Amino acid sequence: MRNVRRFTKFLAFCAFLFAGVVLYAGNSQPTGFKVGGIQVATIQSDEITVPAEFRVALYENLVRQLEKQGFERVYRDGDRNSADVPNLVILHSTVRQFKPGSEKARQVTTVAGATSIRVRCQFTDRDGHARLEQDVTGKVRFFGGNLRATYDFAKKASLIASKKFLATDGK
Amino acid sequence: MIMKSKSLLRTVPLFFAVVTSSDIRAQQSSQSVKAVQIIGLPAVKENAKGTLIVENGNLRFVHGKGISDISTSSIQDIVTGTDSQKAVGKTVGTISMAAPYGGGRFLSLFRKKIDTLTVEYRDADGAFHGVIFRTPSGKADAIEKELIAQGAHTRLTSEQAETVKPSTGSSPKEQTQ
Repeated sequence: MRNVRRFTKFLAFCAFLFAGVVLYAGNSQPTGFKVGGIQVATIQSDEITVPAEFRVALYENLVRQLEKQGFERVYRDGDRNSADVPNLVILHSTVRQFKPGSEKARQVTTVAGATSIRVRCQFTDRDGHARLEQDVTGKVRFFGGNLRATYDFAKKASLIASKKFLATDGK
Repeated sequence: MIMKSKSLLRTVPLFFAVVTSSDIRAQQSSQSVKAVQIIGLPAVKENAKGTLIVENGNLRFVHGKGISDISTSSIQDIVTGTDSQKAVGKTVGTISMAAPYGGGRFLSLFRKKIDTLTVEYRDADGAFHGVIFRTPSGKADAIEKELIAQGAHTRLTSEQAETVKPSTGSSPKEQTQ
């Protein structure tokens, strides 16, 4: 009787894992349409206050990392050249959580003072239809200044974008 | 005697010309400030060291491989902040981490104050850009003031203006009460 219970628990756990993997794979699977370019909208932080240098670092790192990932056309917010681009994907980023941390505390204690930033990334088309929505976290735990968290975020977000929108080109 | 007076007549206007030209230069350009461009300027490497100058309606960053200009009229926001960084340099700081008895950590306690200058602007195509500079302590505010004087916009000042606007007509004392 005990073995049966254990087995059912194990089965439920396996089903849960399988569902998670399927959901994750579905989220990162490439889309059907060919992306003409990606536009990065300015970073929003309506609910919480984020220092200006963090907002700017998030934005600039995001643009650079998207270019590094292989997006041939990365447009900035308000760029007039993006007006006629077909199949343009627009990346909207909203800061959801921000922990400033301390570089000094990290260097002195190693375990304390981590900086973390959680950003909701929403990829939409020109009409505003969401293609992908995901929370991405950037962290710096041991080495580097506080702004390194923005680099970490940008690297992760651009990887998600490239998996989703560039894989169709066989890249 | 006549020769002396003639030469004097020539030198006096020359002297005034030099003085006035230096005055004009002083009005147009500020003193240069050593800065590090952390991120943002197109075609400039991250953490590039250089000099920041505000002159002729431009924020100029002079670095090893060239000059980058941002027109003050295109600037939408300027924000200054304070921060600190390790007083002991990069290589020595890294090597010191291997020092016994937490010597490296002890060195991390010694820090120097720095200022950050964040500039948001739009280029000729209307595209948004942001640049972050790191300057010695107390220098960023002077640059911000000079940029505003030469036509740059800031959200802070415009918000302040908006908050003052509705209460126009009332005395400053009433506003503070």
